[in-house]
Amino acid sequence: MIAFILKRLVWMAITLWVVFTVSFFLMRSVPGGPLDQERTLDPEIKANLEKRYHLDEPLWKQYGRELGNTLRLDLGYSFRLADFRVNEIIAQGFPISASLGIVALFFALSLGLTAGIISAARRQTVVDVALMLAATIGIALPNFVIAGIMIILFVFLLPVFPAAGWGTLGHLVLPGFCLGAPYAAYIARLMRTGMLEVLSQDYIRTAYAKGLSTRAVVLRHALKNALLPVVSFLGPAIAGILTGSLVVEQIFAIPGLGVHFIQAATQRDYTLAMGLVLLYTALLYTMNLLVDISYAYLDPRVELE
Amino acid sequence: MMKKAVPYLIAAVCLAVMVWAVSFGTLPEADFTFCNGDEIKTVDPAIVTGQPEGRIVGALFEGLCRWHPKTLKPIPGMAQSWDISDDELTYTFDIRRGALWSDATPVTAHDFAWSFRRFLHPATASEYAYEMWYVVGAQKYSSGKVMIGDPVEIELKEKPPGALPYAAGITLRGELLDIKHKKVALPNEPVYVVKVDGRQRQFQKGATEAGTEDYQWLIYDFRSVGIRALDDRTLRIRLRHPVPYFLNLMGFYPMSPVNRRCVETHGYPVWTKPENIVCNGPFRLKFRRIRDRIRLVKSTTYWNRDNVRLKVVDALAVKSNTTTLNLYLTGQADWISTVPTEIVPDLMRREQADFNPAPFLAVYYYIINTTKRPLDDVRVRRALALSIDKRQIVEKVTRAGQTPARSLVPPEVSKYVDYVPAQCGRYNVEEARRLLAEAGYPGGRGCPKIEILYNTSEAHRAIAELIQSQWKRALGIDVRLRNQEWAAYLSARRQKKYQIARAGWIGDYVDPNTFLDMFVSDGPQNQTGWGNPRYDKLVEAAQREKDASKRMQYFHQAEQILMDQLPIIPIYFYVSTSMIRPYVKGFYPNIQDVHPLWAIWIDREQKARIFKEEGL
Repeated sequence: MIAFILKRLVWMAITLWVVFTVSFFLMRSVPGGPLDQERTLDPEIKANLEKRYHLDEPLWKQYGRELGNTLRLDLGYSFRLADFRVNEIIAQGFPISASLGIVALFFALSLGLTAGIISAARRQTVVDVALMLAATIGIALPNFVIAGIMIILFVFLLPVFPAAGWGTLGHLVLPGFCLGAPYAAYIARLMRTGMLEVLSQDYIRTAYAKGLSTRAVVLRHALKNALLPVVSFLGPAIAGILTGSLVVEQIFAIPGLGVHFIQAATQRDYTLAMGLVLLYTALLYTMNLLVDISYAYLDPRVELE
Repeated sequence: MMKKAVPYLIAAVCLAVMVWAVSFGTLPEADFTFCNGDEIKTVDPAIVTGQPEGRIVGALFEGLCRWHPKTLKPIPGMAQSWDISDDELTYTFDIRRGALWSDATPVTAHDFAWSFRRFLHPATASEYAYEMWYVVGAQKYSSGKVMIGDPVEIELKEKPPGALPYAAGITLRGELLDIKHKKVALPNEPVYVVKVDGRQRQFQKGATEAGTEDYQWLIYDFRSVGIRALDDRTLRIRLRHPVPYFLNLMGFYPMSPVNRRCVETHGYPVWTKPENIVCNGPFRLKFRRIRDRIRLVKSTTYWNRDNVRLKVVDALAVKSNTTTLNLYLTGQADWISTVPTEIVPDLMRREQADFNPAPFLAVYYYIINTTKRPLDDVRVRRALALSIDKRQIVEKVTRAGQTPARSLVPPEVSKYVDYVPAQCGRYNVEEARRLLAEAGYPGGRGCPKIEILYNTSEAHRAIAELIQSQWKRALGIDVRLRNQEWAAYLSARRQKKYQIARAGWIGDYVDPNTFLDMFVSDGPQNQTGWGNPRYDKLVEAAQREKDASKRMQYFHQAEQILMDQLPIIPIYFYVSTSMIRPYVKGFYPNIQDVHPLWAIWIDREQKARIFKEEGL
């Protein structure tokens, strides 16, 4: 297992380097640069600025400098948020995005698993149809539409939650729900399918034959195996929740990484964009690694190699 | 055993993570909260540009002058009075007794001289540096370029003993005698021969050659720049030519002083951290949460603190206009400066009457690449300009009371300065058709395809579409639309990879010059490829003219040329789109949409009443 993890870490380092290199040259090849703005700078002022940010150097030299700094875990100063280091921005934004992601995940798992299990257990009933219809709608509606509906309902018609912002528990509920809803829908469907498949297997029939209640059979014996497809979905889902929060963050004015990511790309904030791309790569990779490890735990048939 | 414990362990971890995710500290509420647009770039006055930045810097720092919140006239700030010489070239400022930094040390004329020097120094790379180039020698100093015979200052890498960590190195002064360029295969740093204290010394970056000394900066001597502190309280500034709005500039936020000890101790940008920053304005920086809020608290050392009535102010960084409006409607923000354009008519009808667009010193226009056929022909440009029904644009698209533009300079300036803009022709389809036919494209036949470039935005697209259909109907020409995201659009404009492009300009100060000096030949803002020697001469003559009415005449003539030649087509004049709660007092609409926080206060009784009525 340790050998497996080490091997994967080496691959992670290689992946990060490739991502770094591709992003570095891609960012610099698109038109526009971090110093662009509507007011065109006087050539003398522009030269001073380029010197300050080393943009006057040849590309390979910039690449070497950036790579060296990144290896030392120093991502440099942001171009657009000039008072802050990229590390500081991530240190402030990541916990916020993580908080939001965790709440979203809580919604996704609690709603999704419950709905999936009930649906499977009450297969072909009105409850099942209603829940699966809700799930289909949840998948079909983009989260900004859900956000709009939620704001109208719970901010204006029934004022229980704040419209936007960050700082109290109330600020978390609506965005957490909106972000989690599509994932809850997916999980519900995965859970239902997984559960139905497991419920039709022989050992479940044996469990029933022992005289166990449906409740005990489903929760004790079927759940663990039925979770497998959900777990394998969780890896990309967590990454998706973290990276996909940008729309929700924008609507609810949440100062997380998603907003930084969009802004960094449009404002050509080279350093910040690079930092976030690398962070997301590392996150995605780690999540997948964790999923693989948890697989081995949940299903003894899987062996890590 | 181990395996049994795993589910419990996971459950415990999940619980801990949940608890962490939903735990928040408490934050006392602010007296006044406003939405400040996008997150600001920095609070360093020398480096910032832009309205959101200006609001924060204006709260933290104060320049020699302030702007009157109603009239925008310069009123005493850090300078309690000033004296202007008869030729309007020398300004002598008397620094206020009792003006203090937030570390309780006095603000002196030396602070200003040092701050202006930092502002102009090439190492600072200030984007607004050109606003100080009116000062004798300032441009030369900023450029970092030197010529033989110049007085120069040489900053060595070595620091004077006892210097603060980020202080400048030892500075020598002398006369530049010669610049020796070595003609060798490899590009080599030139050797500067300078006479310092009667002795010839040679300086070279890196000091690769024998007999040379290394240095950090070798630039024009700041002592030859027209900024000098005569004593602790007297600052003298000498200008190259009269600048009628120079006092206004001294109240413009980039001209704010910074604290030398603070900057030299921490360096940029660490000095801007709330725990380090030393400022001299009505407010102090409490904390900054990136893309969330900036909290300001009233300064206890500000000279006019008795008249500052807000104690705690929050500036929210909210990018989405819809979210901004939601915050306002739910009482979480007292002032928002932008609203979603789609619902402007609904906002105008609000019974609270709190959405009152006011004229704003800004113009929305199209720039034309005059180097490309068929737009190199002035008749085509005129035809295009004459066949845009601008009234339809402001009535159907923008809808917040914007006015159709027939000049570059907003006519509203006439309320502040004695200037009436020169205008281009009225909407006239007949004349437009005639001109296009004269240019060789009767009924649009044979006219090469024209493309309008704009940066991605619903409003820009709607305007471009309307103009596209107007041109099709009036002139029979086909127009393509192309949208690009912001950075790519700017780059296309700069490289003249466009035919017609959307543009906007916000005046820096209330004077025609801020608009008209954009279009001098080869000016950095002039991306049209158009140039006119007579125009250049008129703008330059106006800039040098002392007599106010003559000056305005020159500007008028220049604008007339611009409106005849039409390298740009003005479309409409912006309005400010603030929504402000009626209990916010001391807030006045003005043409620059500047609302200093020191003048604002809250009527608490009215606020309680309004919130009760609205059920907030």
